[in-house]
Amino acid sequence: MPDTHFYRYDEYDRRLVAERVEQFRDQVRRRLAGELTEEQFKPLRLTNGLYLQLHAYMLRIAIPYGTLSSRQLRKLAEIARKYDRGYGHFTTRQNLQLHWIKLEQAPDAIAALAEVDMHSIQTSGNCVRNTTADHFAGAAADEIEDPRVWCEIVRQWSTLHPEFSFLPRKFKIAITGSPNDRAAVRVHDIGLRLWRNDEGEVGFEVIVGGGLGRTPMIGKTLREFLPRDELLAYLEATLRVYNRYGRRDNLFKARIKILVHEIGAEKMREEVEAEYRSMKDSALKLAPETVEAIARQFAPPPLRPGRTRVPEVEALKLGDPDFALWLKSNVAPHRVPGHAIVTASLKPAGAPPGDASAAQMEGVADIADMYSFSEIRVSHEQNLVLPHVAIEDLPAVYRALGRLGFAEANVGKITDIIACPGLDYCSLANARSIPVAQRISTRFAALARQHDIGDLKIKISGCINACGHHHVGHIGILGVDKNGVELYQISLGGDVDFGQTSLGTILGPAVPADRVVEAVEALVAVYLDARRAGERFVDTYRRLGIQPFKERVYAAV
Amino acid sequence: MAKNLSGDLQIASANRLADGMVVFLDEAGQWTGRLDRAAVARDRRAAEILLERARVESFTVVDPFLVAVVEDEAGHIEPLSLREKIRASGLTFAAIAAEAVRYA
Repeated sequence: MPDTHFYRYDEYDRRLVAERVEQFRDQVRRRLAGELTEEQFKPLRLTNGLYLQLHAYMLRIAIPYGTLSSRQLRKLAEIARKYDRGYGHFTTRQNLQLHWIKLEQAPDAIAALAEVDMHSIQTSGNCVRNTTADHFAGAAADEIEDPRVWCEIVRQWSTLHPEFSFLPRKFKIAITGSPNDRAAVRVHDIGLRLWRNDEGEVGFEVIVGGGLGRTPMIGKTLREFLPRDELLAYLEATLRVYNRYGRRDNLFKARIKILVHEIGAEKMREEVEAEYRSMKDSALKLAPETVEAIARQFAPPPLRPGRTRVPEVEALKLGDPDFALWLKSNVAPHRVPGHAIVTASLKPAGAPPGDASAAQMEGVADIADMYSFSEIRVSHEQNLVLPHVAIEDLPAVYRALGRLGFAEANVGKITDIIACPGLDYCSLANARSIPVAQRISTRFAALARQHDIGDLKIKISGCINACGHHHVGHIGILGVDKNGVELYQISLGGDVDFGQTSLGTILGPAVPADRVVEAVEALVAVYLDARRAGERFVDTYRRLGIQPFKERVYAAV
Repeated sequence: MAKNLSGDLQIASANRLADGMVVFLDEAGQWTGRLDRAAVARDRRAAEILLERARVESFTVVDPFLVAVVEDEAGHIEPLSLREKIRASGLTFAAIAAEAVRYA
């Protein structure tokens, strides 16, 4: 494996995953031979991330905290090509979904994953799912501490945890180590925010009971400051309370957010704290050497401070307006001077958001090898990130990404749309998401116009389960089915950026599929007419309220 | 199940066990990927029998169910719901081609 700077499996991890591959191979064999019924087999395949969707089986592959090596990404490309249709879909949980897997080949696919220390365990079912993190972790200029160290600790603790394998519902944890939350921690079952107190100590704010879906909720802070070494004890206490009191009688009321809502944050805090007191000095207390051993695996690459103003970059900026826009939207500050974080946009105009072909994955892996210490991140906004790029290499990276179709200067702009797979793939969906995203991104493709509109996040879900995070889109779009016709409900004012988490407000009656683009045009027009200097779309919305947007949209559609 | 029986014409569908592919039960009791070969039940009783037959023939498929369809004058059938239209005919957009972009 190339010299990567993140966690590598130890013998225990490898044995666990290898055993699981062989167990699953035998389970598939028995199912195909008719020795297991579908009722018996379904929970076994779901435990390994294998869903049966509209057209085929879908394999959801865990990408721990969205961190990949180039070798792993190449393997994902190989699996996509060999066992699927040669492309994959990066998801809002930093995972990869392959939508055309054959059951008879699924064991070979997960065996191939194991070759590069990857698996699909706990990507389904009522267990603790892949812990997500800031996709700029370990590189961001504003970071207090690398959250992936803690994600890995959570991964090891939660993998096949016997007490938490049959929770009332699935359970999602996100961790950020920066004041600018890029991991949407307030809309997770548990969100953890690393911060430094007045004494200079770093600890966690523990936020519990957030979530999107049918009943969106912003999480409540149960602990303002939790010492880092007590993380697992506090998580265990929280999950134990949830396991004890979470509702199992109603699927739609089983998430921890409903429990927190029903008993109140104060009562939840009392219960968790009582449980926590009984175990805080137990074996769950993290020994410094344990944390240090994991932290060492995330040691930053050997970056030397370099020039921040590079003549070639400045010249290209003047000569190529698209490059200048790309620098503004797709390149973020790095903690080490002379370096930058580059986001490869998986949202070229008219393309399915978050999809990448095998060749494109291999191309990104090549670029990572040449320019980013073989590291890649998957963002929850369905893009790929090259975390450690020298500023002098930016022109070369821009050109290389451009050859892949991934250099669109649109990160954070109106065409950087989050979209779930929707009714084209998903058996839960009521309406399509991807074609709607494609129409919007085609209409607004002109980069100068996108940059004039500025930061505007559109998020599209094909059903109320909200995999496309529509509740927290500046413009949220939810597909609904009314008597067999696809309609789209629009909401405004959702946000997860800069710690200002808010849920969108529904604009009014849902609009027909062929009017969604016009509705977005009308919303943008209101903003452009009314914005003040420095206001983003969502800021103008907050100042004006919903009425002017409502009037313009329903006059237009 | 009542919901599935609401249309006048029904066919039986499932996903093939080995690869998940969408299949339909034909007149001979075989599962086929071709919608135009699906056996059509023309009333409620026939639909119940068709579904029972699909369940009996379900060794190589997963969870058979009934799909409401319409039939044109030429005898071509099409599912009523968008979901089933998509199941029968595939994605409604062009997926990224595996080798459309070759990194040079």
